[in-house]
Amino acid sequence: MKVAFPYLGYDTIALKKFVELLGAESCLGPPLTARTLSLGTKYSPELICLPFKITLGNFIEALEAGADTLLMAAGARKCRFGYYHYLQENILKKIDNRHCFYAISQYTPYEFFFKKMPQIFGVTPQKVIYATWLLLHYSALIDYFRKLIRLTRAYNFYDAQKKELEALRIIENVSSFKEVQKAKKELRKIFSPIINTSNEIIRIGLVGEIYLMLEPFANYEIEKELGKLGVLVVSKRSLYRHLKHLLKLDLFDLRTISNAYKYLKDSPGGEAIKTVGEAHIFAKKNIDGIIHIYPFTCMPENIAYEALQKLARDYEIPILSISIDEHTSKTGLLTRLEAFVEVVKRKKFKG
Amino acid sequence: MKVGIPRALLYYRYGEFWKSFFKCLNVDFIISPPTNKKILDQGVKYVSSEVCLPVKIICGHLDWLKNKATHLFLPRFVELNNGLYTCPKMIGIVDIARFHFQNYFQIISPKIKNNFYWTHFKLGLKLTKNPLKVKNAIDNAQKYLNSYPKLKANGAPKILLLSHFYNIYDYYISQPIIETFKNQGFTIITKEHLDNKRLNSTKGFAKNIRWVYERELYNAFYYFLPQVQGVCNIISFGCGPDSLISEVMLNEAHIQNKPFLQLIIDEHTSATGLITRIEAFCEIIKKRLDNNVSSIIL
Ligand code: SF4
Ligand code: SF4
Repeated sequence: MKVAFPYLGYDTIALKKFVELLGAESCLGPPLTARTLSLGTKYSPELICLPFKITLGNFIEALEAGADTLLMAAGARKCRFGYYHYLQENILKKIDNRHCFYAISQYTPYEFFFKKMPQIFGVTPQKVIYATWLLLHYSALIDYFRKLIRLTRAYNFYDAQKKELEALRIIENVSSFKEVQKAKKELRKIFSPIINTSNEIIRIGLVGEIYLMLEPFANYEIEKELGKLGVLVVSKRSLYRHLKHLLKLDLFDLRTISNAYKYLKDSPGGEAIKTVGEAHIFAKKNIDGIIHIYPFTCMPENIAYEALQKLARDYEIPILSISIDEHTSKTGLLTRLEAFVEVVKRKKFKG
Repeated sequence: MKVGIPRALLYYRYGEFWKSFFKCLNVDFIISPPTNKKILDQGVKYVSSEVCLPVKIICGHLDWLKNKATHLFLPRFVELNNGLYTCPKMIGIVDIARFHFQNYFQIISPKIKNNFYWTHFKLGLKLTKNPLKVKNAIDNAQKYLNSYPKLKANGAPKILLLSHFYNIYDYYISQPIIETFKNQGFTIITKEHLDNKRLNSTKGFAKNIRWVYERELYNAFYYFLPQVQGVCNIISFGCGPDSLISEVMLNEAHIQNKPFLQLIIDEHTSATGLITRIEAFCEIIKKRLDNNVSSIIL
């Protein structure tokens, strides 16, 4: 069995390990490129949001690479995401009819542990629970790595680039809970010497739709580009947090929601409530600016956008909202980032 | 106290209910006029350009009401019919209204989460002390819940016009479309021609749809498809639910070999462009009809 699921930025490593723990081979296809996007766009409904198009292209390329089992997250709620799989399954069936497509609902843990996963992978529920527990720790390690690399990039961009591969290799070699702890120490050893916190930098909070926040291909490597400009990116979103949220273990969730309440009295679905809550926390913590990224016409984030406009007025904090679709140009985006960073810097260092 | 009610979005479904309800409780209210260009032009100023047309339109109506009422009535529809959602934007519109208009009027926005009746009951109790009166007001108003100005159906050939009620019954949006079909000699059927039970059916793909109005559209589509000569689906640019469900319907229509026209509208859509497309679509259907007729005669 060769299993594919959509790439998810650095967290792909954790998901891969999860699949392998369940005794399957992972076969994700080549890294995401312009080809992925144009394939996805070609087969997608015109008006659908960007994550659909990229993940569809991703699946097509995985099939080309020989995957025979596709896994897609599901769970229909207020937003489009939960419906992706109906259409994708249909489209993919027309392209290749030998594979199996499984929609994995995010909101039914019982079914996940005891029915769906054991059935797909032919393993016991205990094994699924164990693998999920390890997945949680792997993703925590990656979350930690992302924090370190953000810091390093801001202070020392070129060294960060050099050390990134080395760090990723360490993460890839982890295969037990004990090694996760050891890897943490090693990561610290790699990065701490090159973090030089002497000069003052600006901090920008990154909020938005989760897929765009996690997958660098989808966000045009926005974190890296900001690091290049000497910005420390602060972000609360990761696979780790999302898993904790799904397993109802995330205490920070409550704080986020209560902070969003001033602006959104009810969740409009998707990640809007987190976007607004996190932005509010950032604003209160005197973060210097906020960047909001989301797929063009994303419904929840369109609502969040209006809330952030109000928040920007209330706290006099610069906010840049970027909506991304398949026509977005990287140069245009970089120009906007540079201009924004200039504004934030001027605001911060003038006083 | 004067309550402002925007003639937009959910008004086209629950407006008659609210009118009767407030009248029975002796509450003075004012309803914004039917959408016109000025209202729309005002509306687009309040929200980002990528949101759907109905949301821009309702902002225009709120703007129109802002100095004419003391209160704004804008319930927040979160869930209906046991856990079916409306749409992220219908939930968020109340917050958007707050951001821009809270200095103009007090916003009354009871939250409706599977408790349409109770929410209105509680609201009524705030307006009058007499629970019996409230109950009467609601019972009276109930009969308006499913009363739409049904477009008359007579004679063939038939077109199924699928869209949200706030698109079809906002004549500023739909008039050129409806007129063109009529001029071309077609009768228009909408989802309002179907009874409630069928509209809420959970058969087939409909059970997967957790958006309440979208499920109705799909059921109407599924039921009427064999009876009509073509389907026209009006979608607002930026509408999330439609972008998906329309695709499902399009696939189905292809399988059954029925012409399916997607009209995507926003504030820049010109009536002339729409009319040309509809005329071309009607031509296709007419040609098919002619061919069929001749094959029957032969
Ligand atoms: S959150 Fe936005 S991008 Fe994601 S499925 Fe929903 S509408 Fe699309
Ligand atoms: S259902 Fe579509 S058109 Fe209606 S408010 Fe939601 S996004 Fe807009």
